[in-house]
Amino acid sequence: MSNESAREGLDRRRFLKVVGIGGAGAAVVSGCSTAQVEKLVPYMVQSEDQVPGVPTWYASTCTECAAGCGLHVKTREGRAIKLEGNPAHPVNAGALCAHGQSALQGLYNPGRLQGPMARQADGSFTAVTWDEAIATLAAKLQAAGGKLAVISGAGRGTFTDLFQGWTAAQGGKFARYSAFSFEPLRAANQMTFGTPEVPHYDLARARYILSFGADFLDGSWLSPVETQRGFAESHGYRDGAMAKHVMFAPRMSLTGMNADEWHPPRPGSEAAIALAMANVLLTERGGNPADANALRGVLGPWTPERAQEESGVGAEIIRRVAREFASASPGLALAGGASGQHRSAVQTAAAVNLLNYVAGSVGQTVRFGADLDTGDGYGALLALLETVDRGEAQVAIVHEANPAYTLPRTAGFAAKFAKAGFKVSTSLVLDETAALCDLLLPNHHALERWDDSRPRRGVQGLMQPVMEPVFKTMATGDVLLKVAQKAGGALAQFTAPSYEAHLKAQWLKQLGTDAAWRQALANGGVYGDAPAAPVRLAASAAGAGFTAPAFDGDASPEAFYLLPTASVYGDGRFANRPWLLELSDPVTRITWHSWAELNPETAKRLDVREGEIVQLTSPHGTVEAPVYIFPGLHPEVVAVPLGLGHTSYGDWATGRGVNPLDLLGASDGQGFLPYLATRVTLTKTGRYKQVAKTEGTTRQLGRGIADAMTFAQAKQGMTPALAAAAEGHAHHEVNTEREVEAIEGFDAAQREARRHGEYANDHPMWGMVIDLARCTGCSSCITACYAENNIPFVGEADILRGREMTWMRIERYWEGGEDGEPLEARVVPMLCQHCDNAPCEPVCPVYAAYHTHDGLNGQVYNRCVGTRYCANNCPYKVRYYNWYAYTKTAFPEPLNLQLNPEVTVRARGVMEKCTFCVQRIRAAQHTARLEDRTLRDGDVVTACAQACPSGAIVFGNMKDPASRVTQAQGNHRGYHILEDLNVRPAVTYLAKVLHRVEA
Amino acid sequence: MRKLALLGAGSLLVALAAIAAGQGTSAAQQGPANTDTLPAWKLSVRDSAALKGPRQPVFFRHDIHVGVNKTPCQYCHYSVAESSEPGIPSMTTCMGCHLIVGGSDSSHQVEIKKVREAYNNSQPIEWVRVHTLARHVHFPHMRHIKVLGANACQTCHGDVGRMPQVYQVNNINNMGFCITCHNQRQVNRDCTVCHF
Repeated sequence: MSNESAREGLDRRRFLKVVGIGGAGAAVVSGCSTAQVEKLVPYMVQSEDQVPGVPTWYASTCTECAAGCGLHVKTREGRAIKLEGNPAHPVNAGALCAHGQSALQGLYNPGRLQGPMARQADGSFTAVTWDEAIATLAAKLQAAGGKLAVISGAGRGTFTDLFQGWTAAQGGKFARYSAFSFEPLRAANQMTFGTPEVPHYDLARARYILSFGADFLDGSWLSPVETQRGFAESHGYRDGAMAKHVMFAPRMSLTGMNADEWHPPRPGSEAAIALAMANVLLTERGGNPADANALRGVLGPWTPERAQEESGVGAEIIRRVAREFASASPGLALAGGASGQHRSAVQTAAAVNLLNYVAGSVGQTVRFGADLDTGDGYGALLALLETVDRGEAQVAIVHEANPAYTLPRTAGFAAKFAKAGFKVSTSLVLDETAALCDLLLPNHHALERWDDSRPRRGVQGLMQPVMEPVFKTMATGDVLLKVAQKAGGALAQFTAPSYEAHLKAQWLKQLGTDAAWRQALANGGVYGDAPAAPVRLAASAAGAGFTAPAFDGDASPEAFYLLPTASVYGDGRFANRPWLLELSDPVTRITWHSWAELNPETAKRLDVREGEIVQLTSPHGTVEAPVYIFPGLHPEVVAVPLGLGHTSYGDWATGRGVNPLDLLGASDGQGFLPYLATRVTLTKTGRYKQVAKTEGTTRQLGRGIADAMTFAQAKQGMTPALAAAAEGHAHHEVNTEREVEAIEGFDAAQREARRHGEYANDHPMWGMVIDLARCTGCSSCITACYAENNIPFVGEADILRGREMTWMRIERYWEGGEDGEPLEARVVPMLCQHCDNAPCEPVCPVYAAYHTHDGLNGQVYNRCVGTRYCANNCPYKVRYYNWYAYTKTAFPEPLNLQLNPEVTVRARGVMEKCTFCVQRIRAAQHTARLEDRTLRDGDVVTACAQACPSGAIVFGNMKDPASRVTQAQGNHRGYHILEDLNVRPAVTYLAKVLHRVEA
Repeated sequence: MRKLALLGAGSLLVALAAIAAGQGTSAAQQGPANTDTLPAWKLSVRDSAALKGPRQPVFFRHDIHVGVNKTPCQYCHYSVAESSEPGIPSMTTCMGCHLIVGGSDSSHQVEIKKVREAYNNSQPIEWVRVHTLARHVHFPHMRHIKVLGANACQTCHGDVGRMPQVYQVNNINNMGFCITCHNQRQVNRDCTVCHF
């Protein structure tokens, strides 16, 4: 409390004194005071596409990862306030992940550089003008005489073409680098199919999905939204059909949590399993296509028994899964990604390619021709770095990459990079690499500039500035052109007056007319199908095989395999965004700091408890992190998340957590960074840190919160209650006779109440259906909710006190995992259930919580006096109390520009919770009224439903028999959480369907 | 001579009005008694400090624009029928007329000159907001215009056409003011219609 008082400047005693003096004091705290003078500033010239109070939408493209999802940017009075997926875009079809949503916090990040800066003799940075900065760079380039090295993380597009041409014209070297480049996939494709391209994986068509260490649902794997969309399409139960998903990986990642079977092999041994499965298929079914028979010699030695020896996964399991995979056509096997990037990662990907080939999936669910953009990768960067190290670069430019952080320290980036005479960064933030540079030329944010993106063949996305730049930054495209004009010489050929003109000229070459250009801008780009480029087995495919990967460090059985995992923070670029720091990790539910995962048995053996800080030591370094005990982990593995432990990346990221890359060695010439290639020893420090997690009880204890049924039961059309009974346990507590009587009495009272006042008229009845067979727990909905509803982040200290403000949260429960039963995960999005018979309403002494005529559980902030009775009486614990003036800490300028003007920014001392996005309901009603029509189904889409890549959430009017929500409610899998309480929730969940081993 | 007499009477009236204003809002709501036609003394008021309502950077005369010239409200408050926000006219809207219209007497000319200078200097006039709703209230102007018609503004804002300087006629932050009307018209009185 003392902390907070200082922040407030009005402590409790003083507050009481002020109020005590008399009536005048009351005015000080009154929320209705309008004494403050406000100004109304008119436009000079009325903008054509801005109406005050009405949002203007712009189409754009997301640049948070290489996937290139389409965006619709909602702006109000000239500032971007919300990002939504572009429904017409082939990659994301309207959905958007948490990373994409959080781009707004990149745009308005207080840690952004405010303008160009140059390093002074004393080592400090001083602001310079753009003219000075450009003149400096031009002069340095003239002097360098072609000794130029460029590292760029920008995706394929006009900018990269320009940058490459600009560099080549001077004779410089160019490397496209991003941390997650999927080099092993490309190397394996080269080996087995003779092409280094990354194909399009069609999960939507797959009837059986096998993952060999590929965390394709964890947010950093190739095209995350498209992958998840496809997965929900095939794996989500519908009309008696669903795909099965089996994962082989040492850790149960979010992908593993969504698997019907998860088998942890020895780290690095997935290839052996894939080869054995391909062998089983080939032996039992024969090659299809015929040339697969050529692989008999390669696959022959790989019996399931030998694979068991290598991996520790039972031969019977391998044989069974192989047969299931063969019988479900088309299947799809996946490999690749940081968590599976060990020294045999190419072998794993090659083995998976062979498995796909033998199963006939190549050309069906694995389609070459799309050529997904992944950059040049690690090898190209190291080669460039060597030339810099040899002193062959007088000028080095780093654009949209942060190798000083994303490379292990042992790569010696800082020392090698220092040999470049003059170092330039275009980073928006002073990141680790920018901190090493001499000149900072901060780029515009993607929402402030003209640009485009070609994430794969057939998809060309456009970006346009949706608002005035927040800071005095400049688009790097413009910087390149201005420098070219200044420097002349070899650069004189770049004559475009601006990057915008250059971009438009490039597009007009293809589009022809100005009208087509305008159309493309409105659509967010031009989309077509990727050309098919069928592949056949290459001769070099015979080189496929498996050798157990080497691991650095202590080989003794006391040491652990170190598994760095890619999750919410990606490769580290998302660590400066409070929405994502506060977003609890989908697997562990930990926020704001690093952790080290240990298997429960291992923890017991070592006698460590949750929160105990352990020291992990490898030959390359040491990190310390608190332990989190996680049942979904191979007992010989310790897992640490990637992306934290920044030394320079804005206030939120700097000094937060640890970076597991500090434990890794750099390279052994394979062309990729082996993340999973180190063994570490674990030492107890004797110190503790309470883990800031939002996880409560990890087991459901038979309460049927996240319900599930087997595939067979679903096919029989069973309800969750029947399914539970079939499993031999009573589903819910049975109501006593007295309770049934009370329920009937309540029904009568309810019918009577509906006849009076506002409630009597014909109103909609808002409701929601969440399909747990589709929900993966990815948490996009949560970030969307934060963005839409001005939810403040509360910070680590308040999370530890249980004061998180997640109006919508994901609850994760474990099932099984004991007595030899397989471990299963259940996730359930939990939000206000808008109960018809809400327990929170009658206990509110001031009627702040009440039931609206259209079925919402209303919360009137200006009435709320903060008794918190409602939260105490809510069985779902979905009401959140605004303990402190979070709005003062959570929206430092210019982050406040993101606030949604349609939603009240709550003051301290009020209860808040999910409103079913009532502002969207009212806006839709206003629009309908102005158009003299009634509401149509689909007019109101809540922020969570809009963002969901799985399409798991349906919202609508439950009184309309034709609405999607009413239809979905009729599903036999429907149930209400804690139904026996008779609170009548408006949210219906559809039970998850488990595609277990068929007896 | 006649002008002088009127001026004398006028100052008396102004003094009376000031006393009335001091007595509270009930008197304020009745408004000045003799504003059916604009007397010449009023047209040439130079100092707006004695008038009700906040003093504006430019003494913009709603009484002349609306009362005398009969300009429809929506000519300037252009988005009131389609948005929650009624819209404040851009400087080009002002200049649409005042490029030509320079003012009939010196008191007007002074103010119009301010507008022209602001426009020429690309410096928008920062008006002082008269009607401000508390942040937890959402008032959709367009729904009210849709139901009550284009000239319904005075229901809440009073007869602006008779106000030399706009002031709050009704306490719009008193929810009773909203509810009284919603009750009479038997329209929605649910909390979450406005509070969210």
